[in-house]
Amino acid sequence: MSEQEIFDKISAILQDHFQLDASQVNKDLNFKKDLDADSIDIVEFVLELEDTFNAEIPDEDAENIQTVGDAVAYIAAHQK
Amino acid sequence: MRIAVDAMGGDDAPKVVIEGVERARDERPEIEFTLYGDENQIKPLLKSDERISIVHTTEQIEGDEHPVKAIRSKKQASMVLAAQAVKKGEADALFSLGSTGALLAAGLFIVGRIKGVDRPGLMPSMPSIKSDKGFVMLDVGANADNRPQQLLQYAIMGNFYARDVRGFDNPRIGLLNNGTEATKGDELHQEAYKLLAADSNLNFIGNVESSTLLEGGADVVVTDGFTGNAVLKSIEGTSHALLHEIKGIIMDGGISAKLGGALLQGGIKSVVKKFDASRYGGAVLLGLSAPVIKAHGSADARTVYYTVLQIETMLQKNTVGKFIDYFAAHNIREQENQPK
Repeated sequence: MSEQEIFDKISAILQDHFQLDASQVNKDLNFKKDLDADSIDIVEFVLELEDTFNAEIPDEDAENIQTVGDAVAYIAAHQK
Repeated sequence: MRIAVDAMGGDDAPKVVIEGVERARDERPEIEFTLYGDENQIKPLLKSDERISIVHTTEQIEGDEHPVKAIRSKKQASMVLAAQAVKKGEADALFSLGSTGALLAAGLFIVGRIKGVDRPGLMPSMPSIKSDKGFVMLDVGANADNRPQQLLQYAIMGNFYARDVRGFDNPRIGLLNNGTEATKGDELHQEAYKLLAADSNLNFIGNVESSTLLEGGADVVVTDGFTGNAVLKSIEGTSHALLHEIKGIIMDGGISAKLGGALLQGGIKSVVKKFDASRYGGAVLLGLSAPVIKAHGSADARTVYYTVLQIETMLQKNTVGKFIDYFAAHNIREQENQPK
């Protein structure tokens, strides 16, 4: 899966979860700072990433995923 | 209907869980159960396996574990497997006496939220002096912080629940606050008051003070999780202390106190019956896509039985389906979490 395809899927998750337009999602978007996401939002997002990409994201790695760009890079690097 | 039961949660599990489930099974022919837990402990206690199946697992979540880490790492725990069954549609509801935090996490992250509900709220049913229907209160601690829209969501869900399960025709919705005037409270409560007053679907009676709750001050008490939890524990603590003191006075007070106690026995029994917490079942985690119910870890078989009846009513009345339809038609999620 290309980085663009990963980005598009992640963008769709965020649009649904945070009621955003596609134009509002970019790689610099920070979950906590820009979206005011709390710990529950973050865990839900990580679980959705796991389901969508059939991945397993350990808690230590999940803590480092803070922006859309971080999420895209993580999924791209851990593709099965 | 099928109920997924975490058989291993609670102080006296699986014994009280099985006793309560079997009583409900014997009386309610339409309910089927799946018990998740150690079959070596469950089978010897089970009188009959009619409409009861067992999914064997020896893993379970302990009370002192970090809830989110526990449900993410213990994939074979009885509570996690039961929640997965609900997520997959193999069961209609989840019932546990286990760790509240872990059940909240399993409900939130495995069963999942209803679209349009920001944060689920934990809602017990409690007795009141004036009515056998008691009252419901949410949130009593699923969240430490709440926002005004979330309190409106709680009022809407509590309203449906109070009609469906507690039998109220037009439940009186009260906002728990530190005074009855509309201007009382902090910013959260003042904003929540405005939202509740503006919603014509709710029979909002204004602010209520905690001192009036047991007298039936409102049928649905809406509160943030932090305040709700403090008030709930205050009620529990006060009633335990009072009952303990009264019992002590009668038992340790010599012949005249014992005689007095005997004379009052009828009255005391009727009060105890009115405040019999077992009849009110468990606390519901409202806002999830299926009923998820938590009974107290020290619950007895009667409480388990009544909680099953409570779940049965929720499923028969399709209470969660009403939430889903309502929130699909009314967007009352927060608008402020747009990118800054």
